Amino acid sequence: MTLPCGVRSYKYADDMAIIRTKTQWVLFILMLVLLFTMPLYMPSNYWLGIATLTGITLIAATGLNLLLGYCGQLSIGHAGFIAVGAYTSAILTNRLGVPFPIALLCSGLTAGTIGIIFGIPSIRLKGFYLAITSIAAQFIILWVINHWSLTGGFMGMQVPYASIGSFVFKSRASQFYLVTSIAVLTIFIAKNIARSRVGRAFIAIRDNDLAAQVMGINLFFYKLLAFFIGCFMAGIAGSLLAHWMGFINTEYFSFADSILYVAMIIIGGLGTTIGPIFGVIFISTLEQYLTVGLVPFLERTFSMLPSGFATGVTPMLFGLVIVLFLILEPRGLAHRWSLFKSAYRLWPFSY
Amino acid sequence: MNKSKLRVIGAILMALIITMLPFLSACDTEEQVETIKIGITTPSSGQAAEKGSVMGHANLDAFEYINEELGGVAGHPIEVVWLDNGYDATKAVTNVQLFMDEGCVMYATASSAMMTATMETANRAGFPGLACFNAPNLHRPPQHIYGQMTDYGDDWTAFAKYYVENIWEGEGKPRMALHLLNNSTGYGARDAAMAKAEELGIEIISIDEHAATTMSEIESLTRIKALNPDVLYISSTPAPTAVIIKNAYELGMYPGITIACGHAGMTKELVNIAGADITEGVYGVFPTVSWGDDVPGMEKMIEYCLELHPEDEGNGDYITSWAQSLIIAEILRLTVENAGYEVLAEGGPEAWAAVEYQGIQQLDGYDVEGLHGPVSYVPGDNRLSKSLRIFQVQSGEIVPITGWIEAPLIKYEEYEWFGN
Repeated sequence: MTLPCGVRSYKYADDMAIIRTKTQWVLFILMLVLLFTMPLYMPSNYWLGIATLTGITLIAATGLNLLLGYCGQLSIGHAGFIAVGAYTSAILTNRLGVPFPIALLCSGLTAGTIGIIFGIPSIRLKGFYLAITSIAAQFIILWVINHWSLTGGFMGMQVPYASIGSFVFKSRASQFYLVTSIAVLTIFIAKNIARSRVGRAFIAIRDNDLAAQVMGINLFFYKLLAFFIGCFMAGIAGSLLAHWMGFINTEYFSFADSILYVAMIIIGGLGTTIGPIFGVIFISTLEQYLTVGLVPFLERTFSMLPSGFATGVTPMLFGLVIVLFLILEPRGLAHRWSLFKSAYRLWPFSY
Repeated sequence: MNKSKLRVIGAILMALIITMLPFLSACDTEEQVETIKIGITTPSSGQAAEKGSVMGHANLDAFEYINEELGGVAGHPIEVVWLDNGYDATKAVTNVQLFMDEGCVMYATASSAMMTATMETANRAGFPGLACFNAPNLHRPPQHIYGQMTDYGDDWTAFAKYYVENIWEGEGKPRMALHLLNNSTGYGARDAAMAKAEELGIEIISIDEHAATTMSEIESLTRIKALNPDVLYISSTPAPTAVIIKNAYELGMYPGITIACGHAGMTKELVNIAGADITEGVYGVFPTVSWGDDVPGMEKMIEYCLELHPEDEGNGDYITSWAQSLIIAEILRLTVENAGYEVLAEGGPEAWAAVEYQGIQQLDGYDVEGLHGPVSYVPGDNRLSKSLRIFQVQSGEIVPITGWIEAPLIKYEEYEWFGN
């Protein structure tokens, strides 16, 4: 990791630390304080709800980033695995009366296990071929959910508020703290997985799986491990989403959502821990801006616009943003952030 | 200045202009007026845009009429927070959370699927909702969600009764196949068939489901054709309904059997998409009057439609949502009359309770300017209008063939299969 001029590590532990300088510690603590005091300065409960939803999306995107960004296993069925987590939690808490923390963990484990099953083809398939099997996974999962009486079928099912012991996460602020804590923990775990032997194996497989196998990396094990971890995080996100929404049916887990998750990590920056954070915040903010701001404004103000123009702005702009990112900054916002940090470290010397 | 710098500056300026556009509307220098806020969410984009976009236009046009020509409600203009949900359940839920936080006193949806997605959030908070298109799962058992009109179950019951009494000429029980959209739109009809088919003397021979995005139903229809049905009943939105009718035509099933559809599909769009020749003779159920009928509210509605959204002319969905806006205005008028404006001013739980108990539950015979059956609240029944009519496509036009039919209340929650 590049450090500001004049900073040197004297111990291996210092060299391996994620946060290495006092400035970084100050900025990190400041960021956490800002994050956890958000309920105090958010303009309304609605925006706090959006922040909570962003946190849930971030957990799922972080899992997909480990799978796709680090290990290179193209999955376009992530929403299906989120659905597995959501329904596992809903069934356990609603129908069987299992406490939320156990249901949360079971959601991750169930989604991870299903992920392993659908990850098995990855041993023989790569790229677009694997993408097609992941799409199939999404459709199979949703079909099973829609035709299983335990899940409520197409009509969906109610999900109680999340609770730990006698404390019920009923208020928006408490839901925000629950999700944010898990999101921070997820990012911390993802960062450490990426820096470990496992993470290096993932990267080796992504860059050249044949070379990785020659080096002694067990492709079968690590590819399935990537599927398990990625889908485990999707399951956790699904559980949180279900308890936050209070009601689920398969319409919450569309194929378009799966594509959007891939778009988020591409825009944020594949194969970086910070990429999903940037991507999720960017897409969520853009979506809110379009839904709540621009589209109603256009519809209300410019009645001379052709019918459907205002509402068509959302998909058009989404598509445009993704295309522009792919053309102008294929390495995502994380790369821009990295350039900014480098410039800051060398400032005022440009070269 | 070189070209690349100019490009960058140009791009930044464009981005700034687009970003600031919505805020320009907030820069209102006029004196503050005491408004009443309501929320409306429509699927104006996405899979059901062919209905949602028309319905969104009708809602906004109607409130423009109410505010400009009727002076709002008891002198208070209605401020509409309108959002497109894109037929996306998550987006619909966040839309409703925004309505609650923005001080809206009630909200309305166009589609039953989006009301299904949002009703738990609303019911938990006691935030009253009015569903334009309505299914039994929204209000059985009754909570804080109300149906503007009859539900998809009522459609099936009304048509089935009409079929047995007026169309069926064979012996024994007529054999009916159901083709249902895989959400509340389809399941409403299925629930009614499960509850009432035997009583009405109809044999349900198959229940098939389709997605809103279906491109072909040849496979399912081939299977249905082999079962030799007398009637095919479709409860879906216009685009899938058109696909099914076209496929039935291609397979030689229709003409030959009777095809009928629920009110989500029985619109001008169905005829436009499937073609007038193919849909000729198709039956359907709809709970509002037809375009151009001689009723008090029609002239003003057409005037606004032609002025603001002429492309929606002749569309029955425009009538339903225009009527929905009129009903909301009446609910607010009753609330102001019974509870005063102050309780509504800021929104919140007190305002929501006032709207529900002093407004919605006080509705008694409001005529909706003749656009659909009268609107009344009957304790235990959250359907506000209970009337519908049977229609038929004749020479490309959707023509009523019956008078108003009163749809009886079915207490679905008394059937143990309901909701399971």
